[in-house]
Parts: sequence; C-alpha cells; structure tokens
Amino acid sequence: MITVVGIPGHRRVELFRAAAVAAGWPAPAVVGWRDVCAGDFAIAPGSLVRLESPGEDAEVDRLLRGADRPAGHGEIVGLAAWYAGFVAAARRVERAATGPLTTPVDELAVMFDKRRCHGLLRERGVPVPAGFAATSYAEVRAAGWSRVFVKPAHGSSASGVVALAFNRSRVSAHTSVGVEDGRLYNELRVHHYTDERTVAAIVDRLGADGLHVERWFPKATHAGTVFDLRVVVIAGRASHVVARTSRTPLTNLHLGNARGDLAAIRAAAGEERWAAALETCERAAACFPGSLHAGVDLMFAPGFGEHAVAEVNAFGDLLPNLLVNGRDTYAAEVAALPSWAVPV
Amino acid sequence: MTIGTNLTTFAGLPVRPFKPGTRVQRHGERVAWRISVGYDGGERDVADALNALMDTVGAHHITALVIGSWGESQSSGPPLHLLTAARDRLTELRALFIGEMTYEECEISWINQGEYAPLLGAFPALEVLHIRGADGLRLAPVRHRRLRELCVESGGLPASFIRGFNDSSFPALTDLELWLGTQEYGGDAVVDDLAPIMTGTELPVLKRLALRNAEIADDVATALAAAPVVARLESLDLSMGALSDAGAEALLLGQPLTHLRSLDMSHHFMSKEMATRFAEELPGVRVDVSDEQDADEDGFRYVSVAE
Repeated sequence: MITVVGIPGHRRVELFRAAAVAAGWPAPAVVGWRDVCAGDFAIAPGSLVRLESPGEDAEVDRLLRGADRPAGHGEIVGLAAWYAGFVAAARRVERAATGPLTTPVDELAVMFDKRRCHGLLRERGVPVPAGFAATSYAEVRAAGWSRVFVKPAHGSSASGVVALAFNRSRVSAHTSVGVEDGRLYNELRVHHYTDERTVAAIVDRLGADGLHVERWFPKATHAGTVFDLRVVVIAGRASHVVARTSRTPLTNLHLGNARGDLAAIRAAAGEERWAAALETCERAAACFPGSLHAGVDLMFAPGFGEHAVAEVNAFGDLLPNLLVNGRDTYAAEVAALPSWAVPV
Repeated sequence: MTIGTNLTTFAGLPVRPFKPGTRVQRHGERVAWRISVGYDGGERDVADALNALMDTVGAHHITALVIGSWGESQSSGPPLHLLTAARDRLTELRALFIGEMTYEECEISWINQGEYAPLLGAFPALEVLHIRGADGLRLAPVRHRRLRELCVESGGLPASFIRGFNDSSFPALTDLELWLGTQEYGGDAVVDDLAPIMTGTELPVLKRLALRNAEIADDVATALAAAPVVARLESLDLSMGALSDAGAEALLLGQPLTHLRSLDMSHHFMSKEMATRFAEELPGVRVDVSDEQDADEDGFRYVSVAE
C-alpha cells in the first residue's frame, strides 16, 4: 500500500499513481497538503508514504506560510515561513504514518535548505563550489568573489536565483526575479540588471529569508550552449539523466530551456569522466540514505576535467517521457520499492 | 550571439589542452598547446602549468600557445610577465592567443587585459597574436617586424588601444581584425580613430581588414568607401556589426570593390534590396550577407557580441 501526499490531481501525483498501478500495486491513496495543513487526514496503517511537492497550489502555499493573503502569481514571498510550515506539515505526516516515508523529513529538511545541503555535501567530500550563508548584498560583495550565484536558502528550481558578477566599477545580475510595486516576482524571462542599487535591493529583499551564496562554477559548453545535468538517483543508482542547456547563466527547464543532446555530451566528456560524474551524483544522493530518490544537479567544468554538484532536489524526479530501459522515473522508483523497503 | 565554444584549431594547428600531469605522446607534435586554470586558480597555477608544459613537451617545441582562463580573469589581467620571463626558452613561439574563454567562463566584455608592448618586445619572432577581451587593454607604441596577424575580439575596444596601435609599427601585418564593440562596454572609438588604418601607409602588406562587431559599422563602411587601404585588400570584413542601409549604400557607391576576393557583411541590418545589390554588383566577389537582423522595437541595432 502506498500513500502519496501531494496536490490531488497534479501531474506529479497522477504520473506516480499510474506508474504504481501499472506495476501491479493497488491504486495509491492520495492525501492533499491542504488537508495535512488542516490536520484533517489519515494514513492507512503500514502504508508506504511518498511526499510529493506542495508547489503550484496557491492555497497550500498560503497555508504553509501561515499568511493572510495568497501570493500573487509568481510572487516570491515568505520563503522562510514557507520552509518552516512545510517541514512542520511533513512532520505531521511522518507522525501519522506507521510505514516508512520514501523521503524522511530529516532529509527533506536538509534538501530544502541550500545552506545545510551544501554544508553536508562538502562535509562528505562531494565536490561543490565554495559557498557560505548570507542575508544581505553587503555580505555577498564582501566575500570578494567576482562571480557568484545567490540562491534563496529555501527557493525551488531557479526561483529567486541571482547570477552576479562584479568588478571595480560594474555589477551585472541575471535573474528571473522581477520587481513590481515593491514586490518580487519570479518571471519566465531572464532580466539583466546593471544598476547596483536595484541589484542590492533585490538581494537584500531575498536575504531576509536567508541566502546561500556560491562561487560561480564556470560550466562546460556543448554546441555553443552552457549546460548542466539533472541526474535522478533512484535507490542509490544514477538512473535518469537529462542535460539542460541555456544561453543564459540559469539552466533550468522552467525558464524555457531545451533538453540537450545527452549522447553527444556524454561522448564529449568521455566514458571515464562521465562515470566519475555519475558516481559523484550517487555519493551526493547517499548523503540522504533514507530517500528513495533524489535529483542531483551536476555541473561539468570547461574541458570536462572537473565537476561539481550544484543542488540536490527532493522532488527532482519530474522528467516526463524520459525512459530508461522502458521506464520513466516514476516507474523506476516503483520498481525499486520492493528491494528498498519491504512494505508492511 | 556569445562565444560558447572553445577553439579546436588555432594558427592552423589543432588545439591540445595541457595540464600538469598530462602525458605527451611524443615530442615535436604539431599542435597549439592550451593551458587554462580553474575559476578558483590564479597566477601561480598558470605559472605551474606553463612550466610543466615547457618541461614536458620541450619549450623549443612550442610554436603555438593558447592561454584560456587565468583564474579570476574578470578582476585581473593575464600574467603576461610569465611569458616574457620565459622568452629565452620559448624561442620558437610564433602564435599566441590570450583569453580563449567562453562566455560562461567570463563574458567577453568582462575579461581583463593588460599592456601588450612588453610581450611584443620580448617575442620579436611572434607572427600571430590573438586577444579576447579588452577591459584594460593597452598598447604602448612598439615596432614589431614579424607580426602577420593581429586580432582583438571584444565587446568594446578602447580608443586608447587603437591609438596605441596607430602609433606602433607593424610592417609585416597582413591581417588585422578588430572587434570594435559598443560604447556601453568600453568601445569608445569613433571612426576618426581608425584614420591611420584607413590610409594604410603604415600597413604596406595588409591583405585582410576586419572591423567587426561594430556599433559604428555605418561610419566605418562610409569611411571605407574612400579609404586608400581598400585598394590593396583581398578581404574586407564588416560582419557582426550594426551595419544598415546607410553605411552599406555609401560603401557600394564609393570606390570599386571588384578586386576583393571576399566581402563579409554577415549579421547586418540591411534591407533585402540592399543586400541583393551587393551580390549583383560584385559578381566576382564572395559576398556574405547572411544572418540578417531586425532592429528592436526602439529601433536599436545590436552588434553580435556585446556583454
């Protein structure tokens, strides 16, 4: 028996349910995050519990933040409050469950805090760019690095990420963050700001909810575009891989970037370096040993000689229609379940 | 467009990356060696890589050298003094590229450069010099008898560098390529700064002139319409710039261009009619009017590579 906690009807939930049913499992029960927030839910005794993203539901977002008003479309607001509410809600699920969670809340809490996630990876010897926690633009500048990525500690995907470059007289910021009426919005297009006051104001606003600042790791290019890899590690093994390409510093599928030619990139890297990179992803995922799956973002340096992990995502397995051995990510996760945990 | 790909060939040779520890198949391989350090590297790493390269392949076997990133390439210029210090070992060096980086490693207009006169003085036999990035690029007047090709790629070439070039002497130069860029990124040259190049008396054997990526492409084209140097050229390149009908028409109505082998105007803002006229009126010339651009809604014409 499997219970999925998510947004009922969301394709993440539906795709997973379909995969489970196709593999011969009884149709998973679905518990909405809205009901978890209200304390009005139950989980069948012994059921495996899969936590899914609470994203893309404005009311759930409001409830998790404990806010009076829902956020505007794309509005970046209350990320720290959201994080606290989300972890608390996940704990409620964990307490109510008697079977195992496919993503334990302790691990979820680390993956959703980029500062802690980065610290854990570094501690375990997983290659990551140098980084530190900050709350203001002044701290970011004071680091003395000429190119950095500023990420909200609790942001998801590219939301709120600012790619910054400085020199003596100039500042350049690429970000999907737009400002309207004093509010910050995550927009589909990439803005380019060169006015330091604007940049500082955005970073300071984001900083109130905590920032993870990372030295810019220059990424390899392929066919003239920069790329990184999303590697979904399932039950310890690198399973599904996509290359995400971009002509801007933010590689993220949400920004309309294309999937790259994985075979060509693999060939350019060479088998030895490719294998080493996937092994790094598996080591990154192994920092979360209780999680059935993790989406690891991996960057190659130019020339492919080095690589580093950018992020580990608890809900990084939404890669529809990407089949490996005939299975998409969800089918592969379901197939891994019997050996990963014996359902009660 | 931005520069997203590393070179695979330089000065007619395949580019071969080198890092300390790289095994070399055999000495005397005909390649352009490339050294580049990581984003967290620095001058010391460049020095280590250069020394290791010279020791491993034999300094006298190095004819072409590509320097990629020197670490914090946007806050400090290239450690050219490491090369000048190695002048007595790098006796066969003929071709040099400084700053061969993609936009992801460092946007072109952010690459710090430096003063090149001492380097040119230290390598009197150098034949090809290729520089990417022009922030802080300088050239005190020099005389260099052997340099055949000089190329500076930039998002904005400082007028002070062009004046340094004008006050220098490169009697063997056959190929001059300057990416003038935009004012916004430091390209503050006006067409008058190019007057000595247009006259060409100090460039007696120039065969290819490329004034590319220019916001002032119309002014450049208009000046070229009457520039004495054009009569001696085989190849003229005005590509990647903001060239529109105004400059193109002036060029077409100016001095004859039929002696050219090639005329490159790709990435342009000309009308179809104007582009067609070039092809029709210059039947013996390889005319490239590909990659037609449209001005944006404010009428602004972007060059190909800026930031």
